[in-house]
Amino acid sequence: MDHFERQLTRLMHDDREPAAFGPGQRDRLRAGVRARRRVRAARRAAGSALAVAGLGLGLFLWPHSGTPDEPGAPHPRPATGPSTGTTPAPTLSPSSPPTATVSGPSSTGTTAPGETPSATGGRTDSPSPPSSATATATPDAGGGHSASQGTSGHSTTTTSPPSAPASGSATPSEGASAAGSTGTAGQTGSDG
Amino acid sequence: MEQARAGEYDEFVAARWSGLFHLARLLTGGDRHRAEDLLQESLVKLWFVWPKIADEAPEAYVRKVLARAAARSARRRWWGERPVEELPEVAAAGDISAAVAERSRLEAALALLTPRQRAAVVLRYYQDLPDRQVAEVLGCPVGTVRSHAARGVARLRELLADAIEPVG
Repeated sequence: MDHFERQLTRLMHDDREPAAFGPGQRDRLRAGVRARRRVRAARRAAGSALAVAGLGLGLFLWPHSGTPDEPGAPHPRPATGPSTGTTPAPTLSPSSPPTATVSGPSSTGTTAPGETPSATGGRTDSPSPPSSATATATPDAGGGHSASQGTSGHSTTTTSPPSAPASGSATPSEGASAAGSTGTAGQTGSDG
Repeated sequence: MEQARAGEYDEFVAARWSGLFHLARLLTGGDRHRAEDLLQESLVKLWFVWPKIADEAPEAYVRKVLARAAARSARRRWWGERPVEELPEVAAAGDISAAVAERSRLEAALALLTPRQRAAVVLRYYQDLPDRQVAEVLGCPVGTVRSHAARGVARLRELLADAIEPVG
């Protein structure tokens, strides 16, 4: 420390002037403490409100984001009944080719377009079971109707139609009734 | 409990007010209003940590807060202060109030330093702190403190050449 630095130190200490801590400073200090306390409380309240809002928003969005991810969500099915011959048309596309091929051997081709959709229309199963059903149904050669409704595995309900082609003229109504009955049977079987 | 805490705090502030205010005035380059604001701000912060550091080193805490706040507030733009070579307002002859309000030569010279240089010089030569503690207070490396202090002293040597008589 040279001479200038010593003089600088002396100047800094000598320059000090007395300053008393009066009531004015005390009141101002108290006011500053109160103001800072209010600021801290407001900041804490704002932080809590933000946390609660964020938590609420997260809980609000939680169930909505989880719903579309469920793969096996059951789809609503239309109610099937005896008069549902025309209603299941939108769901015909997956199962219509097997029914068309099966209705051929029944020799009552007029019944197939109007009736087979009612039998399989109510079902919304995957397309693979109908193909297996057609494979098992074709050797019967007379079980055209049974093949069309064989997707549910209720072959007992569909064994009666082989007698229907024998009646000949009764095929439209017979096929319709058989299709309707088997359709309901298949529906109940799948639901159960 | 609260009363005892407030009593201890008031005793400390009343005992150390003068020295801390002088430190604040040097750190702000002689601006009394800014010095008082900074000291109030530092003491308000001290109030909230008083139960923790009352038995340790409250003055060191205030010194650290004061030095850092002085450096920080000097960087704010809204102060609008710019160091100049000459004081813009010259006291008129015979004006007692202006003479009283006039800053000392040392404070005017300190006002021409950068905040970091001023803090390093004040902490080293007024508080008699070693470079390591100055670095700890300012939150920068020791080498930076030495550099700031050396440049600040060199600048003060130029400004106060005629005020401090040379040796011999």
